[in-house]
Amino acid sequence: MRKYHALIPFVILASLLLVVALFAPAIAPLDPYAQDLSVALLPPDDTYLLGTDRYGRDVLSRVIVGSRTTLGASLALLIVISVGGTLIGAVAGYRGGKIDTALMRLSDVALAFPAMVFAIAVAGVLGGGLVSAAVAIALISWPKYARLARGLVLQMRSMPYLAAARFAGRSETEILIYHVMPNIAAPIIVTATAHLGTLIMEMAGLSFLGLGAMPPTAEWGAMMNNGRSLLQTSPWVILSPGIAIFIAVSIFNMLGDKLRDVFDTHLNE
Amino acid sequence: MRSKKFFSGFMSRKSKLIAALALSGCILISGCGGGGEKKTDAGKAGEKTFVYGTMAYGVAMENVGTDPHDTYVGWSTLRYGIGETLFRFTESMELEPWLAKNFERIDENTVKINLKEKIKFSNGKKVTGKAVKACLERLLKMNDRAPKDLKIAAIDADETSVTIKTTEPSPSLINYLSDPYGCIIDTEADVKDKIVVGTGPYKAVKVTDTQIDLVKNENYWGDVKPKMDKITIRSITDGDTLTMAMQNGELDAVQGLPYASLELFGDTGKYKISQADTSRIYQIAFNYKTPELQDIKVRQAISSALDKENFTKVLLHGQGTPAVGPFPAAMTFGDKAVSAMKFDKDRAKSLLQEAGYADTDNDGYVDKDGKNLELRYLTYTSRQELPLLAEAMQASLKEIGIKLNVNATDNYKAVLKTGDYDMYAKAFVAAPTGDPEYYFTTHVLDSSAYNNGFYHSDAIEALGRELHNEFNPAERSNLAIKMEQQLLDDCALIYASHLRMSFVMRKNIEGFVAHPSDYYEISPALDKKI
Amino acid sequence: MIEGIGLRKYIAGRLVGLFFVLLGVTFFTFFMMQFAADDAVDKMYDDRGAVSEELKAERRHELGLDRPFFVQYGTWLMGLASGDMGKSFISGKDVFETFIEKLPQTIWLMAVSILMTLTVSLPLGIISAVKRDESIDYIIRFFSFIGNSLPNFFTALLLIYFLALKMNLLPIMGNSENMRSVILPALTLAIAMGAKYTRQMRTAILEEMNKPYVAGARSRGVAESTILFKSVLRSSLVPLITLLALSIGSLLGGTAIVETIFMWDGVGKMAVDAIIMRDYPIIQAYVVWMSIIYVVVNLIADIMCDYFDPRAEIYNGGGSAP
Repeated sequence: MRKYHALIPFVILASLLLVVALFAPAIAPLDPYAQDLSVALLPPDDTYLLGTDRYGRDVLSRVIVGSRTTLGASLALLIVISVGGTLIGAVAGYRGGKIDTALMRLSDVALAFPAMVFAIAVAGVLGGGLVSAAVAIALISWPKYARLARGLVLQMRSMPYLAAARFAGRSETEILIYHVMPNIAAPIIVTATAHLGTLIMEMAGLSFLGLGAMPPTAEWGAMMNNGRSLLQTSPWVILSPGIAIFIAVSIFNMLGDKLRDVFDTHLNE
Repeated sequence: MRSKKFFSGFMSRKSKLIAALALSGCILISGCGGGGEKKTDAGKAGEKTFVYGTMAYGVAMENVGTDPHDTYVGWSTLRYGIGETLFRFTESMELEPWLAKNFERIDENTVKINLKEKIKFSNGKKVTGKAVKACLERLLKMNDRAPKDLKIAAIDADETSVTIKTTEPSPSLINYLSDPYGCIIDTEADVKDKIVVGTGPYKAVKVTDTQIDLVKNENYWGDVKPKMDKITIRSITDGDTLTMAMQNGELDAVQGLPYASLELFGDTGKYKISQADTSRIYQIAFNYKTPELQDIKVRQAISSALDKENFTKVLLHGQGTPAVGPFPAAMTFGDKAVSAMKFDKDRAKSLLQEAGYADTDNDGYVDKDGKNLELRYLTYTSRQELPLLAEAMQASLKEIGIKLNVNATDNYKAVLKTGDYDMYAKAFVAAPTGDPEYYFTTHVLDSSAYNNGFYHSDAIEALGRELHNEFNPAERSNLAIKMEQQLLDDCALIYASHLRMSFVMRKNIEGFVAHPSDYYEISPALDKKI
Repeated sequence: MIEGIGLRKYIAGRLVGLFFVLLGVTFFTFFMMQFAADDAVDKMYDDRGAVSEELKAERRHELGLDRPFFVQYGTWLMGLASGDMGKSFISGKDVFETFIEKLPQTIWLMAVSILMTLTVSLPLGIISAVKRDESIDYIIRFFSFIGNSLPNFFTALLLIYFLALKMNLLPIMGNSENMRSVILPALTLAIAMGAKYTRQMRTAILEEMNKPYVAGARSRGVAESTILFKSVLRSSLVPLITLLALSIGSLLGGTAIVETIFMWDGVGKMAVDAIIMRDYPIIQAYVVWMSIIYVVVNLIADIMCDYFDPRAEIYNGGGSAP
């Protein structure tokens, strides 16, 4: 049990981030969307703790509300691709044969696309926006989970208790849901947690290229993009969301690492 | 014992490994080395070189190359001093002779252009009337816009002149000949590797998608001779890279900096800035199909809610001038000659009241018949000013109780087709040839391709026909002013600002001047003081 | 180990796979482009002043864009089979030629960034593993952690700001004549990769050191350094090779953000420009290139991993190896 103790601080930090994201509008000290050109680009002071951007909006409030956009979108995306990818992989591995071959070829095709360029193409077709950025990343990220799940299922397929379940008259779908899925959940969750940091960076990267969140939406990558040319004159506009991304990614990466440490030994046994 | 052995073995291996890697790292860095100082002086000692970073050259702009007859490549031919046109525009966008000495209008359909005697191509050949004829014929054959603009029926030539007959009266023929596609090149010389033989002060030696290398034209015909030995034109499509490369001393001059970057070059001991107001206009069209906007009071209210002064001063960092109508003040038919709604928030509110709108449910937005006044605003993001304008508009309208839903998308053409917008903001070069007719025929007539607000006015239609058949420049200008004023009185569009173009250069650069037409950049006057 | 006929069969099988991947990827790209909201011709005349719809229709006809979807795709496939990738819609240049022109820049950037990555991450990974839980390990882990959590656009901006603007050490813009211009973009890429590689190296070595055969070798008195260099490192290379293959694969596709920020004239920037301009022939060529790289790189990685199969040589006679 002691090994789980190492997880506690990171779980707390991650939960804290999620709580901030969840209650962002209540936490933000000022209206993140209220423009006032007369206070544009003020350096940090007592009213504007992280300064203001070029529309005179409070950067701190925007970073807080932006956490909801960035983290929320990344988390939703993560759930969709990990569940979807796992299902596809589990079915492929469990059924084998033509379905397996077809699904794995499909994942080959998806993996052959370079992430960023593909995302730009999708954004070009769907017309940009947070949703199309998420769709793009989802379309090429699912094979990661499909392959992992397939590998795990293949390992399990020959396990005696599956045969036992079959004897007991369980249908294939039931076996998949009640016996296969619970057994592959742990490594999938570990992988997903470690993946969240990367997803946050990818979503922010797309917004940074102007292909994700649209103005005036508060989103970290988009805020950095808007503040890019201000790096030298008003650095707080770009550094605040930049550091926010860094902190969020760090926390989820650490959590992912620790989870892996804790579960990996377990998996190897 | 074991661990000691381990580490001694390990250390020796490790130190060897590290030494080898460190060595390779050193070779890597020093091998690529050289002093950090003379970054732009790529040429030999004593040579004068000029490295110019621009946002305006590249595949996306369709101006890669130097052949003026190819799509929009003429812009590069003209801008970078490779080619010259028969006539050119002055600072107030009036025509003056360049390769031509003068022109005579023989009748409504015929113009005779006399050439200057001493003009030579960069290969030393004389520019004769026949050479110009051959060049124009190639233009008509290769370019898809030129035949429609110029409407040429036949060209006659002798040693020193060309006579052009048009298929219909063409008051703006000379203007169109001054378009970048009108650069005169030697058609007998082969166009190889995208290099043409022109008459300009510099000639191209190497042309790629991202760079043009130029050398001095030793045969230049003008009285002012080119001074630089080598010029490098670099395409830099990222504004921040452009800014920082300039600060880092990698460039001598830049064009197209993001507005926020300009203040970084305020140090007059190191940099100089040259600016010109262009005829690129940022405008917002009202959609006349939207019932709420059919009421002129609502359009007036919206027009007087936008603080153009503050928009240009704060959001554009002063890199734009508040507009009245579509043309900049330097033109005879420009902003000085017309008037529009002034910025006045209280007046905007009372106009809405007169139109029957009031905030009856206290939700911050005015309503009428139980419906909030809510409008859809369409724009795109490829011009850095448009998203700024959208956000400024949104905030301004919120203050007078109108809810504006901004849709800034590069997918805007699809929306334009479906008509799902109430206001549409865009950027447009209103007078590329110094003539006003172009703007009206493209934007406000029933037949206009870009009449995205579905505006119609009998008066404008009649004036437009009159303008089309008028030859006298002064009278054309008067007609244009009448049309502009009519548009402004109808509140058909909001003209937000004119683009101000800036060149930033190092202190020692001379003769590099921004021009309102956006056509002329490198001239024989360009010099670098050492 | 896969050898002889088995190997040949294996490779043949993978190449058949390549065929399917190519077909799928190009079909999907064609399909997507077909449904783009505005086509190449609309883009071409964008912001250029008024152009009649007839003129646009003419252009579309010239480019063959008015033909049915399957005809366009079929024609393109036939062209590809005979080695003709068509001409760019925008520049009119031969697609293959354009592509070959940009490739050296991308390969150069890839090579330098991989070299930088390995130069730093191999020794650091080894040190970090060997000196596990000592202060040097914590320092290395701390920095690799930071490198791993910084988005590359942020890294690029910080590097430019400090190394170029403040210290005036290095040029920012990519420039084929100035060899030093590769350093900043390569460093940007190497920071994220190096961080990942260091961590990977450390984990792999530690995992390997925990295996019973290492204990077996120790008990037989084999020197620690021999164990480390002759076998542990060798087996730890397997995950590293997979990682390296993935990195090389994606770097050969060019890196859209880094190439754009540093004006690096490679295939990544070319692809982004082509997508923005809807230059289908270029996009298709790029997609073909990426799928070939993906399949070939994975194939090579698998063969190499097989070759580096752990416990292959010196411990086989030892008896205690698993």
